[in-house]
Amino acid sequence: MRTQPAGIAADVWGKLASPARYRLAAHIDRAEALRYLGYRGQAVDDELAAHIEDIFARAESEFEPRGASDVFAIDAAACDASGAPCIRLADTTVELTGRSIWRHLKDADAAAVIAVTLGMGSERALRRCSHTHPADAAILDAGLSAMAEAAIGAVDTALRGEAAACGLSANHRFSCGYGDCPLDAQQDLLDALDARRVLGITLTPSNLMLPSKSITAVFGLFSGANGPVPASDAIRSCRGCRVADGCAFRARGTTCWS
Amino acid sequence: MAEHTDTRTAAPHGTADGGTWQPRTLDTLKIADDDLRAVLEGRRHLLFDGGMGTMLQRAGMPAGARPELLNLTDPDMILGVQRAYVEAGAEVITSNTFGANASKLAGKATVEEVFRAAVHIARAAGARYVAGDIGPTGALLRPLGTLSFDEAYDLFAEEARAAEEAGCDLIVIETMTDLAEARAAVIAAKEHTRLPIFCTMTFEEDGRTFLGTSPEAAAVTLDALGADVVGINCSLGPDQIRPFLARMLAVTEKPVMVQANAGLPHVEAGATVYDIAPEAYAQGVARMVDDGAALIGGCCGTTPDFIRLLADIVRDRAPRDRTVAPALHIASAQAHVALPVGAGRIAVVGERLNPTGKKRLQQALRDGDMDYVVAQAISQQEQGADVLDVNVGLPGLDEVALMPRVSEELQAAVTLPLQFDSTDPAALEAAVRRYPGRAIINSVNGAAESLAAVLPIAARYGANVVGLTLDENGIPATAEGRLAIAGRIVGAAEAAGIPRTRLLIDCLVMTASTNQEQVREILRAVAMVKERLGVATTLGVSNVSFGLPARELLNATFLAAALGAGLDAPIINPGSARYMDVIRSYRVLNAEDAGAAAFIERYAGAPDPYHVPTGEAAMAAGAAGEAPVDSRRHDAAEPNEGGLEPDERICRLVVSGRRGECRRSVEELVRTCDPLQIIDGCLIPALDEVGRRFDAGTLFLPQLMASAEAAKAGFDVIRAAMPETTGTEKGAIVLATVRGDIHDIGKNIVKMLLENYGYRIIDLGRDVEPQRILEAVRETGARLAGLSALMTTTVPAMAETIELLHREAPGTAIMVGGAVLTPDYAREIGADLYAKDAAEAARLAEGVFARAD
Repeated sequence: MRTQPAGIAADVWGKLASPARYRLAAHIDRAEALRYLGYRGQAVDDELAAHIEDIFARAESEFEPRGASDVFAIDAAACDASGAPCIRLADTTVELTGRSIWRHLKDADAAAVIAVTLGMGSERALRRCSHTHPADAAILDAGLSAMAEAAIGAVDTALRGEAAACGLSANHRFSCGYGDCPLDAQQDLLDALDARRVLGITLTPSNLMLPSKSITAVFGLFSGANGPVPASDAIRSCRGCRVADGCAFRARGTTCWS
Repeated sequence: MAEHTDTRTAAPHGTADGGTWQPRTLDTLKIADDDLRAVLEGRRHLLFDGGMGTMLQRAGMPAGARPELLNLTDPDMILGVQRAYVEAGAEVITSNTFGANASKLAGKATVEEVFRAAVHIARAAGARYVAGDIGPTGALLRPLGTLSFDEAYDLFAEEARAAEEAGCDLIVIETMTDLAEARAAVIAAKEHTRLPIFCTMTFEEDGRTFLGTSPEAAAVTLDALGADVVGINCSLGPDQIRPFLARMLAVTEKPVMVQANAGLPHVEAGATVYDIAPEAYAQGVARMVDDGAALIGGCCGTTPDFIRLLADIVRDRAPRDRTVAPALHIASAQAHVALPVGAGRIAVVGERLNPTGKKRLQQALRDGDMDYVVAQAISQQEQGADVLDVNVGLPGLDEVALMPRVSEELQAAVTLPLQFDSTDPAALEAAVRRYPGRAIINSVNGAAESLAAVLPIAARYGANVVGLTLDENGIPATAEGRLAIAGRIVGAAEAAGIPRTRLLIDCLVMTASTNQEQVREILRAVAMVKERLGVATTLGVSNVSFGLPARELLNATFLAAALGAGLDAPIINPGSARYMDVIRSYRVLNAEDAGAAAFIERYAGAPDPYHVPTGEAAMAAGAAGEAPVDSRRHDAAEPNEGGLEPDERICRLVVSGRRGECRRSVEELVRTCDPLQIIDGCLIPALDEVGRRFDAGTLFLPQLMASAEAAKAGFDVIRAAMPETTGTEKGAIVLATVRGDIHDIGKNIVKMLLENYGYRIIDLGRDVEPQRILEAVRETGARLAGLSALMTTTVPAMAETIELLHREAPGTAIMVGGAVLTPDYAREIGADLYAKDAAEAARLAEGVFARAD
């Protein structure tokens, strides 16, 4: 039986707390993909522009992102092995450690777990391309990263919309590896979605996902009782991040979520 | 890319090695009773149990918990589920050991104790037969993943041994999505137990596994390898699986097993339920039994209620008699080529991956330059080959290590099945043992020694094999002589457990210039071998024209004649438009190209190379449709752009990233100019300029790389023009993405740029152990090692590598780069140099080598 959070009505919970699968439109946000490639307004001749567009368009016709989601009750009173407070997701083995994720989810009634992948074909295409045309491989890599972002965004939007229709608000999605949330929880998050069977996502011993164009994320769902999502949470910011000081992303002028 | 292939020779565990080869037959197995034997012979149905995970989650087990540990901590929970399945009529209870491998158990329990407990519970539940369940390792195998075939094999071997010791009646390997992993498990079970082996794979709606394997490729590969039952489980409901079952039934005589899901899960009133009810499920399974499924059971979402209905389907009923049309099946993990006996279809075997007479390929194999090797394979695939011959035999190279390494690289980049071509049985074994598919071994011959060495390898690993019609006495002059040897090979193969549908006989082409009268004998032999022995044939076509002019013309004519005589698998260069013209037109004549659709699409409106307007005829001779559209586009370049001097023009072409034009301009200039002058005077200054512009932000990454590719095209021309380029080589640099990290786009960009600057790059790939990097530095005496890491979590592995190199190879400078690194961070972990991008890496390398000089 699924644990039901106290703050969410049974009928709402019955609708939300269920595994869902998604087949998503393949979309590459051109501007975002170019940004990954370091584009800052340089003059690009027509031939190169057409070549890049060709790679992106072919990728959009070749790959079909797939996704999965589920919603679980949260136990924020738990402590991890070191005694620090952590977030557990009911009916799963997920334990999310670190201050960042704890702050993100401690007041939530439930957590949405989402995952997407572009499939093993994307991994194969990258490998094939890197042997023969390393330049194309870099362009394809950027395009596929943007495609995966669009896919996780689509699942996020869909689930958030369902939650909103049920009167729940949601904060922004958070992935392992952000802030001080270690990648160690990746296996349990994938297991919570049965993602190996449903999406074909596997993990390396260092907790990196394969296909590499895969993303997992978690966001909090808040009932009226817990009030709306704090405004500071609605937009992403490094303010309050525990590792902001020594953050390698910030040192390079970027952020962990971009 | 894949850095290190385990070089130990495949150990023939548990096989009759040293003695005579004994093929694996039902008589060599430990079969519980006559009923189970009848199942394996296809004469009896068998009913498996249903889902375990679903039942356990319903009983409160959290998602992600290891159900295998419950065998030890809560045996009654498992017992309750399994007893209910026995009561519902299941004859086979699957041990609760799906994830009970050492990697997933992670030290929480031993494999042996989990299997012992699980089998004990299944017996206590009253199971008639207990199937030792083996699921995937959970990790992805190389080349796309990081787990080696041999590591996967070791995990499965431990499980298989534990299953037999615990008293299982059979082994069921299930829910596999990776054919390489399924093969590793079957081989492990074969080599470590005498139990019957059942193996099922999981397909998505598109009819392929997540790794791209079709039902046909799975069935023909696992059947040949020695699985006693093959089949399909999980993912989908019975109606969706049914067409996949039909595809398996069409290609294997082995009993076929299906265990469908009860549709998709959702939560109702707090409990996970699946959307297909038992009755509808049973109706779907009944249709599959009508189709020919012999073994049935359930998977996710099925319960004893489902199994009870399935029991009714197979009660007092025997599996449907079925006949499978004989065919030669060749398969990779992603492609399946079938040549049905008597259907007259053909398959092109691409011959280009053979270093004989190819200097550039020889060099690439010696240097470990897999990019070049793989590029040759990709182009043959694009040119229309159906199978790729792979030969890496060069004096001084360790074929036993190199063959599987090249094979692995090819698996990541091309989908075509491979034909391993070697005279060294150990190299053949190392490759086919680990090959995910039904490969071809090239070759065995009629000599007793060859038959004894090669046939057991083909039998043990389920490969097809080319048989050459020669023996201790050489090649017979007549067709009858060749037929006699072919007959001996067929007999020996069948005695070794290799059916004749897995053979291709090569009647051996002789040269028309020296043995003119024999050419017709070869054609006669092909026809006789096919007709009398019913086996497929292959020929190395181009041998016919040695020593004569217009070789392609002669070869193309011989190819057409040989196809007419019944040749199935010509070994040719698919890059020759002339040969492929013959192939494509023959595919109309043999009715393989249905409605001539492919032929019309390619040739309607295409110019006939023999009808050329006067004056251009000389130029176009022999170029039958050879120049594809692509190169014509580049030909639009001005012969002398804007009146620039050739060297300035080349510089400009590099800066603007025009690969094709740059190649042509260098080709022109190299005729009149010192190659070294072109490098130092044009290409390198152009690259420097590109680097400056990239730094200044006026060029972005794709432009930098387009320039690098343009420069590379120029270097390739120069390299071809001056065979000995050692004078231009500046030194060796070892590159690697560190252990645990799988990102290599950045490293590949750095590699390309450094190559342009004349360094010899030893690219160890991704996820590389520190020790391996040290070894490469020592072997090559590299003065610079470049390390890449993209994840915070893999920087410690980078630090470890730096520490090791500094201690053991103090003369080597270490340069690092990657998204998470900063100059400070790089210093902190002990790196000598930090490169923020590829252009800077090239500048830093110049500095290192300038100092060292």
